[in-house]
Amino acid sequence: MSRQDETRAGLRFFGRVSASVSHEIKNVFAVINEAAGLIEDFTLMAERGMPLQPERLKSAANSIQGQIRRGDAIIKNMNAFAHSTDEDVREVNLVEGLALAVALSTRFADMRQVKLTMGECEPVSMVASPFDLTRLLHSSIAAALDRLEAGDTLVIGVRPEGGGASFSLSSPGKDGPLRDDEPFADLARAMNASVSVNEKTGTSELLLERAGSSE
Amino acid sequence: MRVLLVDDEVELVSAMAERLGFRGVDADWADNGESALEMADKTEYAVAVLDMKMPRLSGLDLMDRLADKHPDMKFIFLSGHGSESDFKAGCAAGCNYLIKPIQLEELVALINRVTK
Repeated sequence: MSRQDETRAGLRFFGRVSASVSHEIKNVFAVINEAAGLIEDFTLMAERGMPLQPERLKSAANSIQGQIRRGDAIIKNMNAFAHSTDEDVREVNLVEGLALAVALSTRFADMRQVKLTMGECEPVSMVASPFDLTRLLHSSIAAALDRLEAGDTLVIGVRPEGGGASFSLSSPGKDGPLRDDEPFADLARAMNASVSVNEKTGTSELLLERAGSSE
Repeated sequence: MRVLLVDDEVELVSAMAERLGFRGVDADWADNGESALEMADKTEYAVAVLDMKMPRLSGLDLMDRLADKHPDMKFIFLSGHGSESDFKAGCAAGCNYLIKPIQLEELVALINRVTK
């Protein structure tokens, strides 16, 4: 893949995630809008003599507060994602990197009715491009989701492995959901990453070698 | 006239149904396409208000399924999508739609217009 194509692929990924986040925020605003409208309706009816029901007002206010918490978490993740482009490479906490990739992928999983969760994670960090790492993990999750069905669960964990790290992708009761790195082969190659099956656990493993270790 | 609201955001769709009730529009709601299809088999709805992006059955797919069984039903779409042009491209000419967050009075006016 040429450098120009690679740049376009990165931009497309940034756009895809941003579009998903903006859609989620639209939904947050839409719920707040209706809850606020409900409170307004209650007060208008009270002005016309209908008694106010405090528990209904409380429920609508709780809905608004819950949506603000939801919106705040979405924006926090979006902000972390935007800052992943600040430096080309840096020391990255891979547990935090995985948590961000999972958060940014949750809506994609929800649309397929697959539950996406963090599994066992051991502290591990390495020098990497934070943006490329998020893209690699997001692409891996998307490829795994393609092999799952509504009602399935995708569990992702990370642990240190040979100076690098191994991300495990599994779905209870199913074979490892990630077969190969074909959907993200160029990026995987550029990051010294490869996909394998852990025969002992029956899970898919995305192995990320320490930078420069393959040279 | 009875209206069916379908959106996977339960807090949104339940509040909309209640607010429509205050305005004299009887509305039921569902948070997924399969439930909506079952409800439409049991109750006659003049209008279905459908979210475009829902798990499994999208708003457009649900419209096709509902229209097949209930040819007189009218449809209005709610879209949270940032790109109106994308939405229009995916929607046949003549689709009625509102972009979230909506003004309820606009929805009531649209419901009245499509059922005239």
